[in-house]
Amino acid sequence: MSEIGQYIFNGLMLGMIYAMVAVGFTLFFGVLDVIKFSHGDVLMVGAFAGLTASIAMTAVGVTSPVLQLLGMVLFAVGLTGVLGAAIAKFLILPLHKAPPLNTLLATLMLGTVIREAVRLFYPDGSNPKRFPALLPTSSFELGSMNLRVDNLILLVAGLTAIAGVHFMITRTKLGLAIRAVAQDGETARLMGINFEAVVLFTFALGSGLAALAGVMNGLYYNEVNFGVGLLLGVIGFAAAILGGLGNMYGAIIGGFLFAALQVLGSVLLPALIPEIPSAYKDVFAFTAVIIFMAWKPTGLIAEKTSERV
Amino acid sequence: MSHVNLIDVENLTMRFGGLTALDELNMSVREGEILGLLGPNGSGKTTFFNVMTGLYKATSGRISYAGENVIGKTPQAIYRSGVARTFQRSRLSLSLTVFDNIVIGDYQHMQHGLLFNLLRRKAFRAEYEQYVEKVRDLLRIFSPPLMDRLFEPVETFTMIDRRRIEVCRALMSQPRLLLLDEPSAGMTHDETDELMQDILQVRGKMSQLSVVLIEHEMNVIERVTERCVVLNYGRKIAEGTYAEITADADVQTAYLGEAA
Amino acid sequence: MSLTVAAVAMTLYVWMFLHAESQAAVAVLVVLAASAVFASRKLGATRVMAAAVAQRPGLARALSLAGALVLIAAFHDSHFVLLMLCAVLLYATACLGLTVQFGYSGVANFAGAAFFGIGSYATAIMAAHTQIPHVLVIVLSGLIAAVIGSVLITPVLRTRGHYAALVTIAFGILFKTFIEVNDVLGGPQGLQVPGMKLFGVSLNDGIEIPGVEISFYVPYVLLSLLVFGLVYALVSALERSWVGLSMDVVRTDETAASTFGLHIARWKVVAFTTGNFFAGIAGSLYGMISGFVAPNNFTFSDSLLMLSIVILGGLGNIAGLIPAALIVLVLPEKLQFIQEYRFLLFAAMVIVILLFRPQGLLPRKTRIFFREEAPK
Repeated sequence: MSEIGQYIFNGLMLGMIYAMVAVGFTLFFGVLDVIKFSHGDVLMVGAFAGLTASIAMTAVGVTSPVLQLLGMVLFAVGLTGVLGAAIAKFLILPLHKAPPLNTLLATLMLGTVIREAVRLFYPDGSNPKRFPALLPTSSFELGSMNLRVDNLILLVAGLTAIAGVHFMITRTKLGLAIRAVAQDGETARLMGINFEAVVLFTFALGSGLAALAGVMNGLYYNEVNFGVGLLLGVIGFAAAILGGLGNMYGAIIGGFLFAALQVLGSVLLPALIPEIPSAYKDVFAFTAVIIFMAWKPTGLIAEKTSERV
Repeated sequence: MSHVNLIDVENLTMRFGGLTALDELNMSVREGEILGLLGPNGSGKTTFFNVMTGLYKATSGRISYAGENVIGKTPQAIYRSGVARTFQRSRLSLSLTVFDNIVIGDYQHMQHGLLFNLLRRKAFRAEYEQYVEKVRDLLRIFSPPLMDRLFEPVETFTMIDRRRIEVCRALMSQPRLLLLDEPSAGMTHDETDELMQDILQVRGKMSQLSVVLIEHEMNVIERVTERCVVLNYGRKIAEGTYAEITADADVQTAYLGEAA
Repeated sequence: MSLTVAAVAMTLYVWMFLHAESQAAVAVLVVLAASAVFASRKLGATRVMAAAVAQRPGLARALSLAGALVLIAAFHDSHFVLLMLCAVLLYATACLGLTVQFGYSGVANFAGAAFFGIGSYATAIMAAHTQIPHVLVIVLSGLIAAVIGSVLITPVLRTRGHYAALVTIAFGILFKTFIEVNDVLGGPQGLQVPGMKLFGVSLNDGIEIPGVEISFYVPYVLLSLLVFGLVYALVSALERSWVGLSMDVVRTDETAASTFGLHIARWKVVAFTTGNFFAGIAGSLYGMISGFVAPNNFTFSDSLLMLSIVILGGLGNIAGLIPAALIVLVLPEKLQFIQEYRFLLFAAMVIVILLFRPQGLLPRKTRIFFREEAPK
């Protein structure tokens, strides 16, 4: 019984992380009609930044888990926020007038640049690195399930982050500005909204969220490697499309949906074919996505498009 | 001008969410006529063109064209039944050549098979040369200087020339119905005159060409059209000759506002 | 006259480039090329050259062929160089397919390497387990790639490019993972591919001319050159036909295209399928040449590498594919120190190109269906 519980919990964790990445994609698409393919790799940078912060803090003698966690998160989110804004300013905005496929291609390449840069220039970058275990490892019983405190904390943190972003977008003035720009950039500009500032902030926000996801990913698996961004990026993008690009709720649903597909795959497939390697769960999930997209190419909630004829 | 209706519009309604662009529109276009479609901005003229050419699907109502209901047909099918148009905001492929942009207007009569295009080059060349002649013939009427610049990209030409190119594209397919959406926007008085003359000249060579013309320049409407329909808020508010509709009180109100 | 001079100069340059052993020599050659290009632009020589090529396309093609044959003869005993030439020619062939998809029809395909790989794997299986003549195997491998690709058609047909992008990326990753975990297809080690047999003669046995050492790769290079030439001619004809025109119009303005009767879906499907077919046959031949096929050669990064060739050469201009392929594939082999940084550098290069010179090295010219040959 608790094995199912374990699977479900695992799925929730994954879904959380995917949802956080997907929200980023959807934010960027909403604001600038752009797919920033490097998003997954920005997540990876966040994870590595967190790792670096932890190493640095340990080096200067700060070993308290709470302080380390705090430092990690602050550094990771801060660094990637700046990175996200820089990408927006120097790559995305200049390419805004070019055909959209150019931006797609450029951000894909940027992701490769980031990935390779970490692999080549981070000390021993090509090998997976141990991520510090900073969360309490105790667990407690709830009914017939054995819940670990650290996973619970991660889950709650993720939910809080997403809720926080949601609150910001829907309840604050800044969020209103973001939504205005997403609806109609030209008019927003005419209304006095600083278009560029909003765009940069949105990218910083999405990237910061991804960094948090990256740190959480590292804490959950106790390791990070330079390649984690590619798969997470593709999954996050798929999740955002599943839920309908531009729709934040859809992105969250999409994230959990994809995780559910993976969990389903890892449960179903061994039941059908006993010796099947676990990597097939990814094959299963991606096949499901492709089939789904053949059926409903614009996702569960239709992408908003408007074009003057 | 015959009195057979080429197009019968019955209770045509087009809603976009909360916005009603066409509101139970009723009108008709007679075969062979030049009809002016007027009305203030936002009255639904371009929307009507978009529904007529299949780009939008009407919320309700019917358009009878040559006996069949247009609503629900694809743009491609509507084109094949002899409908061609120009766009209010010029839609040309700017990086492609003048020839490319014009010749594609006759898409339905070109041979598209891979075998023909890739392997039967001699036969293809023959068809190609025929089209070059046809394009030149059109340009001879609309813009002779362009005849020598057939293979230059459209983006190097002025807005006026681009509009002429768009009209040529629409005429390439020898349509039965020509929908012109503000073709003279940005042109001077003389250029507009010239354009209309050229269109009439081509029309003279074709057996039966019906034209629906959206225009804001009243001189053009007066001189060129035989009949006018005036729209406001998606409905027809007046119909008749130019003289009749300009005298109509509702039309004056629509354009100029209520008399004080 | 100037065409012949240019052809001789370029052949000589490529010969030196392929011949160079030390990295210093290569660096010098690169700088030389860059300055030559820069200078000729300033002096207007490039425009003269372009006009000359346009006026006498037949001669230009003949000279290119002659140059290629001279190079093959010059390196007749060097396995390594010939193998590289095969790679350049066959990757360029796959990129011809990508050009039809991306350059003409605007269909984003980020799984180019996967379709290349499908061609290789199909060939590995057919050549090892069936008696099908190898020429037919190549064609069938291409067809298999095209058919498998058609599975992705429906999402690819969506208007916005990012759906096609996601689906092809997912497919590429899926393909690699699938192959890796599948021991039937060799798993991570891959499969061996038998050498090609043409008219009963095994090409791996090589040619023998008494007294002259000839690498067994020579017939393979000639075959690669033939395949490239054929596909090049087909794509060139395609571009200068109603097919290419329709694809371009669909790409540039779907709305207007539909009001003039163009079948949007049909042209995208034709482009996607044809492009994958070319990638498949290129992969097929490459598999037979390299003797084996493994999933590690068909990663997402390899697909991106192919796209960088297409962009660098000039999107939509197939004449730029060979120079671009030479740069992307051969340069890292010559400048060993950048081998490690290959992906990083070329990805960065594409970004720079997209930002500052999106037309690439050889911008696509306007469509001229038929040129009158200039009198001598």
